[in-house]
Amino acid sequence: MEPHKAESMDLLRIEKLKKYFPVRRGFFQRTVGWVRAVEDVSLYLARGKTLGLVGESGCGKTTVARMILNLLPADGGRILYKGNDICGLSDKDMKPFRKEIQIVFQDPYGSLNPRMTVGQTLSEGLRITGIRGRTDRREPIERLLGLVGMAPTAIDRYPHEFSGGQRQRIGIARALSVEPALVVCDEPVSALDVSIQAQIINLLKDLQDRLGLSYVFISHDLNVVGYLCHQVAVMYRGQIMEYAPAEKVFENPLHPYTRVLLAALPDLESGKAPPATGLESERPEFALTPPEGCRFRMRCPEKHDRCRLLNPELTPVDDDHWVRCWQAPPHSTRI
Amino acid sequence: MNVDAMNAPQEVVLSVEGLRVYFRNEEEVARAVDGVDFEVRRGETVCLVGESGCGKTVSALALLGLLPRPPGEIAGGRVRFCGDDLLDRDEEALQVVRGRRIGMVFQEPLTSLNPVFTIGEQIAEPLRVHLELPESQIRQRCLQLLHDVGIDSPEQRLAAYPHQLSGGQRQRAMIAMALACGPELIIADEPTTALDVTVQAQILSLMNRLQHAHDMSVLYITHDLGVVSQIADRVYVMYAGVIVETGAAQPVLRNPRHPYTRALLDSLPNRRKRGRRLYSIPGSVPHPAYKPAGCPFHPRCPRAIDACREHFPGMCVFDDGQVARCPVAAGRKLTDWCRS
Repeated sequence: MEPHKAESMDLLRIEKLKKYFPVRRGFFQRTVGWVRAVEDVSLYLARGKTLGLVGESGCGKTTVARMILNLLPADGGRILYKGNDICGLSDKDMKPFRKEIQIVFQDPYGSLNPRMTVGQTLSEGLRITGIRGRTDRREPIERLLGLVGMAPTAIDRYPHEFSGGQRQRIGIARALSVEPALVVCDEPVSALDVSIQAQIINLLKDLQDRLGLSYVFISHDLNVVGYLCHQVAVMYRGQIMEYAPAEKVFENPLHPYTRVLLAALPDLESGKAPPATGLESERPEFALTPPEGCRFRMRCPEKHDRCRLLNPELTPVDDDHWVRCWQAPPHSTRI
Repeated sequence: MNVDAMNAPQEVVLSVEGLRVYFRNEEEVARAVDGVDFEVRRGETVCLVGESGCGKTVSALALLGLLPRPPGEIAGGRVRFCGDDLLDRDEEALQVVRGRRIGMVFQEPLTSLNPVFTIGEQIAEPLRVHLELPESQIRQRCLQLLHDVGIDSPEQRLAAYPHQLSGGQRQRAMIAMALACGPELIIADEPTTALDVTVQAQILSLMNRLQHAHDMSVLYITHDLGVVSQIADRVYVMYAGVIVETGAAQPVLRNPRHPYTRALLDSLPNRRKRGRRLYSIPGSVPHPAYKPAGCPFHPRCPRAIDACREHFPGMCVFDDGQVARCPVAAGRKLTDWCRS
């Protein structure tokens, strides 16, 4: 079963997505095993909404993002964008969708070409969308810069002349240059200082309101996700552990891992709390291959026998609240 | 009620007075640290918090004598550690202090550990150099240290190279090295910034436990106000090379007096602010070579008045013992401004 809602509402729909990476060893680089980076991931995203993908490093959230952009082929499952399966499309067939799905990267320093002026960077997208002449492009570029809160004088300057926050604005302008409907934001504010982070978060929100954008927002920071996202999916080692509207994830977390993440979250308003989680460290022997049964069981403070034998399915406990845990309460409408 | 005097232990382990660190090149002088005072008392955790470029790391490097000179220079101030002036000391004398009496933990354990030596060899080094322990005892002591910092199967980890450990384990190993000689003070520079939240919580509670077990003081440098709320007894907020606010951590975070501290807290997102616009501080941090005259925060400050553009404000003591460098917030008269 997958999280389900009225199909027509969904801009993006991911079904049972799977990605395994080979582990190669030795002189001949033989494949000795597989890292199950993403397994059985199902999600949907409505138009104009933000889906938060949270989890610790290595949980597969960036891998999911790269598959949404078709930068990485999936090994199974479907990615439906406006009802079209974009998994495994050739570059040519993918081209119309490239305009619609864009990405903003984490590192505003590494993701801009240092040899291109801001104008050149932004005009690449415009050239692809068919605005040809140089003078034709100047005006839309100035409009783009205005959209992200930058002065038109930025057009002839190079990335190194800008601060981190301004570079992130340029990265956002580049994503918007082709007028996408869906923007995948991969940790877009993690590298920024607190005061700049707020500027970029406000900008992303304004743009969503003005342009009706949908975001897949990848972050390890639950405070940012709780502020910005409508839906939240919590990932652990390649699988979704809990998936629900943001209020439910924060107010009524049902998966032990979600509860651990929330407990570790510093909360300025509740005062000094010596951080103590019941969480054990991941055992090194399971670094590549998760243990049999539930993937979280080695670190789970609430594990019992059943968790060792079988991996639970992502199961609805409510119409829009999905949990992958044996301990989750049953769906209220079922007997 | 003076919170500092009430619950803080009195013995000062580290005191920094009027520290100035400049970076010079042909054209300009960057005043990275511009007259900073702080102190750390026995057994307490003090946080130095600020955004990148505010001078918090440079202050720590300077007081340890680790600042590359040139281009850096210490243009003034005093640093006293248990009564001894550290800035007067030569390199040889400093080496006796560093690693033995002051332990250090840095942000990125992968780059601050040496990739070609095993964890065991690196933990053994301070034991050999500073304590001159006989070889027979070193292994035992290393195992004990790894056990203390919560590393599983320490026998195997001793022979591991840094790249074979996870980020959290590497940071634990770094802490084991810092603890090796039983220091009185640990200086930790963003030790959990590169780590996941759950691992961060583990490391913070580990440091908390070890601090109490060994009666150490901790100077903790961070940009993360959430971390400050979890660990700090007292906090110093830095902006553009100066301390702008200080006091016991909880009062400062709950009722910040300096407009900058207020603005930082208001700009933090969380789920309770959903639907409301985040406050964002206009503009950006000034370049350390081109700081504005007067209060360094005035171009971005919502409460700035004309006097803020001309006079560098002194520290003002509020009724409850909190201290902030803002005479406007304190309601002081213009004539009182320049005293700190």
